[in-house]
Amino acid sequence: MSGRGSGLILRVYMALFFVYMFLPLGIMVVAGFNAYSPPSVTVWQGFSLQWFGELWADERMRSGLRNSLIIAGSVIALALPMGLAGALLLGRLGARAAGLLYTLMVSPLLTPGIILGISTVIFWRNFDVAGGLFTAILAQTTFVASYAMLMFMARLQRQDATLEEAARDLGATPLQAFRRITLPFLRPTIATAAVIAFLQSFENYNTTMFAIGGQHTLVTEIGSRMRFGLSPVVNVIGILFIIATITCAVVWAILKERERGAANGASA
Amino acid sequence: MTELRRAFGAPLSALIVFLAGVWILGLIAAPQIIMIEQSFWTMQRPEGAAELSVRIDALYNRLDVLALDHAAAADDAARAAIDAERVEVQGEITALEAQESTPVKTWTLSNYAQMGQAHLAIFAKTILASLAVTAIAFVVCYPIAFAIAKLEPPRRAAMIMLALVVPYAINELLRVFAWQMILNYSGPLNAALGLVGIGPIPFLESGTGVFVAMVYAYILFMVFPLYNVLETLDTNQIEAARDLGAGPLQIHRRVVLPHARPGIAVGCIMTFMLSAGSYAVPYIMTRGTADPWFTQLVYNRFFQATNWNVGAAYALSLLVVCTGFIFVMMRLLKVRLKDIAK
Repeated sequence: MSGRGSGLILRVYMALFFVYMFLPLGIMVVAGFNAYSPPSVTVWQGFSLQWFGELWADERMRSGLRNSLIIAGSVIALALPMGLAGALLLGRLGARAAGLLYTLMVSPLLTPGIILGISTVIFWRNFDVAGGLFTAILAQTTFVASYAMLMFMARLQRQDATLEEAARDLGATPLQAFRRITLPFLRPTIATAAVIAFLQSFENYNTTMFAIGGQHTLVTEIGSRMRFGLSPVVNVIGILFIIATITCAVVWAILKERERGAANGASA
Repeated sequence: MTELRRAFGAPLSALIVFLAGVWILGLIAAPQIIMIEQSFWTMQRPEGAAELSVRIDALYNRLDVLALDHAAAADDAARAAIDAERVEVQGEITALEAQESTPVKTWTLSNYAQMGQAHLAIFAKTILASLAVTAIAFVVCYPIAFAIAKLEPPRRAAMIMLALVVPYAINELLRVFAWQMILNYSGPLNAALGLVGIGPIPFLESGTGVFVAMVYAYILFMVFPLYNVLETLDTNQIEAARDLGAGPLQIHRRVVLPHARPGIAVGCIMTFMLSAGSYAVPYIMTRGTADPWFTQLVYNRFFQATNWNVGAAYALSLLVVCTGFIFVMMRLLKVRLKDIAK
């Protein structure tokens, strides 16, 4: 790898990897603008935006989107406090208890998604609750809270414990110290965790598919469209997802750059 | 616990314990335990159901006889006595019938035995294919992750990783769908093969498509953990090894790979778990034309055969294999759970 030759080979290999990653997405985008249905790039019938119109008029997609947003909102509201509680609890326990608790709390991340969905539905059937939005929310919360817990834990480990102690010495109650010191310190993580929780919930298929019963979300609806009755409407959704993702990535890069600029400016 | 109370005060501590408790006990533990419990029993017709039905038949005969007696009875007193007996017999019949038709919960391993030859073969195929996907992902990604982390300048490396976030963040279904289009019978790949006089090849119908799409869908779950650990590897260590005369192979075997153990563990565990537990990829790629993936069997047990006990047993089998894989990886690579979940 010291040689120039092997460096070149690695470069070519990496370029091929990028083609492999992006070419399929490109094909999907192109087919979304093709007037031909089912989606195709081999039969070209002219550039068309008609599938965007059809998506807009699609009632089931719209109700799916509504359900997805309801679920994601509820998951954020449940998973963030639970994850935070887990992280706070971990920091105040003995090593052995913390180890056991930690294993339990990360286990949903190491469990196949379908198992989380299935077990939730089985559990609630005992209380005569059938699969639906409610079970989907709980099943997703199970693992989204794990992500939140890990993020809060990482942040709490960097907290300066003396600040809280100082507040207590100055006569603050534990509640005041938490509200005025710890919570503001956690604020950036709360925002990031909410974004991650939203994406994890919104994009989830495996767990939701098994937990949602007769209802549907945007993503489960896309899934059944892909299997039955293909139309380029699915490609249009793909295009919208790609645009949204690239926008987020660019915004993130700009924010990061500005942060770096600010840091440099401060240090200069 | 006292430490918790001291740090947060009683009301806040109570809230913390309550929230964490609902999550850990109510959402994580209880559903798993109920699922395990459910996989070990089945509702069966009670024992001696045949004898019961004979007795019920006899009682119905007795009712008919009583009806005849009733018609032939001489006076009201006799009729009242017969009526009383009829009520009694009727009551007995109702009780016995309830007993006969109420299934009893029977503890059994039969839910697992249901798997049979055909399903066992699919189970094995799913696991072997998932292992293959994991191995391919590792072999393909290791050079990529190493090149980005150690050979590119940091700013460029960050840009490259950001670019990879785009396909990573796009929904799994849509990425799989792209491959469904490519490998379609009338798709671009078969069109290209047609130009050189090959095909068309039924990729989707043969199950090849599932494998190809699965590698594509989950390969980035290998890249990111590998990149993260390799980024923390001090380049001086590589330089030192080279100065001491180590060849490229030796450097990787003795310096880079040992450092990358936690990343390898995470990447392999995620890739394997996602593949073995994948429902979307086989569902979309085969459209029912090729052999099902094990997850599809699980789904069918629940929502088509509606045998929840057998479904629970199938789901648990999958969970056991995935958990086993995690333990093997942790043992092999000598990493702890704390290193994995970061």
